[in-house]
Formats: sequence, structure tokens, C-alpha cells
Amino acid sequence: MENSRRHFLKRTCALVAGASVYPLSRNDANAETDIETNDIKYAMLHDETKCIGCNACVDACREVNQVPEGVSRLSIERSEPYGEYPDQFYHFTRHSCEHCEAAPCVTVCPTGAAFIDKETGIVAVNADRCVGCLYCIAACPYEVRFINPVTKAADKCDFCRETNLKQGKQPACVEACPTKALVFGNLKDPKSELVTLLKANPTKRSKLDLGTRPKLFRIKAKEGEIIL
Amino acid sequence: MSAFHFDTLVWHWPIAIYLFLAGVSAGAMFFAVLLKHVCLKDKAYLSGFVQAACIVAAISVLAGLGVLVLDLTKPFDFWKILVFYNPTSVMSMGVIILMLYQVLMYAWIAITFQKPINDFCKNRFPIVGKLTSMLQRYEAGITGLLVIFSVSLGAYTGFLLSAQPHFPMWNTGVLPLLFLVSGLSSGAAASLLGGVLLKGNPNGAEVHFIHKIEIPLILAEMLLMFTFFMGLVFSGGQSKVAALTALGEGFWGLVFWFGIMGLGLSAPLTMNLFMTTTSKRKFSYVAGTACLSLLGVILLRNFILYTGQMTVS
Repeated sequence: MENSRRHFLKRTCALVAGASVYPLSRNDANAETDIETNDIKYAMLHDETKCIGCNACVDACREVNQVPEGVSRLSIERSEPYGEYPDQFYHFTRHSCEHCEAAPCVTVCPTGAAFIDKETGIVAVNADRCVGCLYCIAACPYEVRFINPVTKAADKCDFCRETNLKQGKQPACVEACPTKALVFGNLKDPKSELVTLLKANPTKRSKLDLGTRPKLFRIKAKEGEIIL
Repeated sequence: MSAFHFDTLVWHWPIAIYLFLAGVSAGAMFFAVLLKHVCLKDKAYLSGFVQAACIVAAISVLAGLGVLVLDLTKPFDFWKILVFYNPTSVMSMGVIILMLYQVLMYAWIAITFQKPINDFCKNRFPIVGKLTSMLQRYEAGITGLLVIFSVSLGAYTGFLLSAQPHFPMWNTGVLPLLFLVSGLSSGAAASLLGGVLLKGNPNGAEVHFIHKIEIPLILAEMLLMFTFFMGLVFSGGQSKVAALTALGEGFWGLVFWFGIMGLGLSAPLTMNLFMTTTSKRKFSYVAGTACLSLLGVILLRNFILYTGQMTVS
């Protein structure tokens, strides 16, 4: 009796350990091959030196993607006026989904409603499958996800995957920008405007230390102050 | 920043209640198994404490899941979580653990209370007797798996939070251990409280047994708490900010020092040591200590849930 119990415990421990490690290894292997096989990886560049903070992108996004009032997929954050009068200026920062390569929202989603589109690298939401547990909203380091009050599902920027992109157009925000501060394109196409700009300019991505590998690049405006 | 409303808050108190109930269930089942196999053997079903532990474990896990489902934005779509799985999601793995845990729990309860169940069903549903004796044959296996799954359930509630990279207070390996140990001690407290309420003898062998385990458990909990916060402070940056915000002045600092460290840990520890030295245990002592322990664990879950979301990295 004692002996069989010990054997049993040993075997179950081995089984549990094996079962818990197996899916992790398989998933990593998949990710590796996917990166090599597809040839589209969409990304965006926000040139903060060109942005004038007009919010045309925000309005265009709301209209095209029918984002209800009270929530938004995209916002432009304006920080303090810097410098002395009359030499004053603002900083504008785009606040929207950063389409991480290693997206925490996709990792934590229990039903697979949050997913990375393998064809395009876009992080998207399958609203039908979402149960609204809020796990992705809590897990997103960029705090860009929200519950859509109409569908009751998690929602966020998907580079207009369901709207403009499907019709062969650029994302709504890019089309609306009067100063061409937003550039959308394919990272795997070396001749694209996006890649050319990324190679020619120093860019930043936020919270890289979390290992999320975001695909929203920023050309920073000149520094306004010393922050220690 | 107010204690219950701030910008970065996503998960509210129902989640803390769920974390608490899942921990209580895991702990109660763990102690029910221990009581039966170490202390009471075949007479386990007669003990008020084992009965209480089984009732508490079964009800609290169901109540916890109920709270969780009602807290979804689409409660009627909860079945999708049972149909679609994501191996990288702690929540999804937790669903599997919760389901298997419940199956094993009912099987173990059926084996342990075989005699009263068989007596009750002998003339009415004779098939039940066959079922319980079939389960009886796999008792060793079911018990072993149940212990593994109850420990997994207790730790899972911590992993659920620690899987989120930008809350530095959650994103640590100590949190699952802290939740596991405090979950076990809340399960022990719930079994003791239920046991004395079900007319169990407050000076019985079960109480002596549980108290003997509870003292090192509380000490381990304090040690883990210390390690948890020292780890955050030494990590520096936002982790340090998170620890100091949580422990400093204000509502949650008060909850931590007075509610959790004082009422929830130090008071039960003192009373347990006192009851170990004096020979006789009374109803009021056992029930009072258990209530304090439970209060401490509820406060701990809320404290970690809210203060964890206050600081982001």
C-alpha cells in the first residue's frame, strides 16, 4: 500500500511536470518558424517633432472604427509647455496599442480572444470569444485596452485591420494626419518609407525593459527639461 | 490617490474575494486530507472538523467561481472559458486546475463519508454503494492527486497576479508562495471555526493537530512577507516605490500593520502559543483565533490586490 502510493506520487509528479513544460516548448518553436515564413510585419512610426497635437487622428479613428463615446483606441497626450515665453512648445505622445511581438495581453488571455495575427503581426481581439475577465486590461503595460461599452469585449487599436486595411487603405489616423507625422508600413519591406525612416533616425519605443518588443516607434521631440 | 479609486485600478474587490475563497477551499481540503490520514484514519467521517473542512471546501470554491463569473463583463459567455484554452494563460490553466480539483474533491468526500452515504442510499439508490466502493479502490491515487491539486490551486491564485509584467509588486516569485501559505492557514482556520460550530470538541485531537501545524505556518507567512517586501525594496526603481507606497502612511499601510501583521498574524500566533502551553482549549479561544486568521487573510488579499495596482513600471 505505502509502496504503490509512493510509485503513484512519483509518476504523477513526473506527468504534471512534463505536461506543464510541454506546451511552453511547443509554443516557442511555433513562434520561431512563424517569424521566418511570413513576409508582412506591420509597424508604425510617430514623428513627435512633426506632431502639432490637432487630434485629427483621434477623430478619424473614432469615425472609421465606430469607437463609442467615452472610450478611445487612440489619444494624443500633451505634456506641459516647455521653455520660456516666447520660445514655448508642447510635447505630444501617441497613446495606443504598441502591437508587441511578445504581447502580455495575448499571453494572459484565457480564451485566445486576444491574439497576434500571424499574417500581419497585428495584435487583435476576437470580440466574440472575449468573456470580459479584464485580465488583458490589467496585464497591458501600456494601458491601452478598454472594455467596449457596446460589445462588452476588450477593444483597442488594431491598425484598422477590420476597416481601412481590409479596403487596401492606410489606417485612419495615418490618412488623417495633416503634417504626415504618422507613417505606417511593413518592417519586412526594406524599401518601404517606414524602414527608410527608421534607418535614418534615432527612434524610441517605450518600456522595452519589460521584454514586450513593441512595434510603435517614436522620433522624440527635443528634450524639454532635465529629469533626474 | 484614494484607497479604492485610482487610474491604474483594473481589478476590484470581487477578485480579492475570489482569491480568498479559492485559497480557503484549497487549504480546507489540504487539512481535511491531513486530518484523515495522519490523525483520524477510518473514523474521519465522525469528526466535526473533517465535516466542516469538506463543507467549507466545497462551498467556498463554488462561491468563488460564482463571484468570478458575475464579475465578467459578459457573465453569460463564461462557458467560453471552459471551451477555449490558452496554454500560456495562467487563468486558463487555473480553470483546468479548478475543474480537476473539484472532481477529485467530491470523489475524496465520497470515499471518506462512504459509510453514512451508503447507509442513506442502501434502500433508495443501491447503485451509489457500488460507486463508492469503486472509488474506494482508487483511494490512494485520488488522495495523492487531491493534495497536489489543492496545493496547485493555492499557488495558482498567486501566479494569476504575478503573470503581469508591469505591476512590480505582483511580478515576483514570492507572491504565489505567500498566497499558498496564507491560503493553507485560512483553510485551517475555516475548518477549526466550522468544526467547533458543528459541535466538534474544541479540546480534541484534531484541534491539537491543526494548531501544531498552524504555528510554523504563521511563522513561515511572516518570513515570506518579510522576504516579499525586502525583495521589492532591493530591486529598486518602481519595485521599491511600490513597496514603500503600500507599507507607508495611509489607509493600506494601516491595513497592513494593524490588520494583517497585528490582528491577522501576531494575535493568532500568540493565542496559539498560549493554548499550547495551557492544557485546555475552549470554544471561544479556538473560534476567536480562527476568526482573526480569516480576517487577516481577507485583508491580505485586498491589500495585495489594491496596492499592487497602485504602482506601475
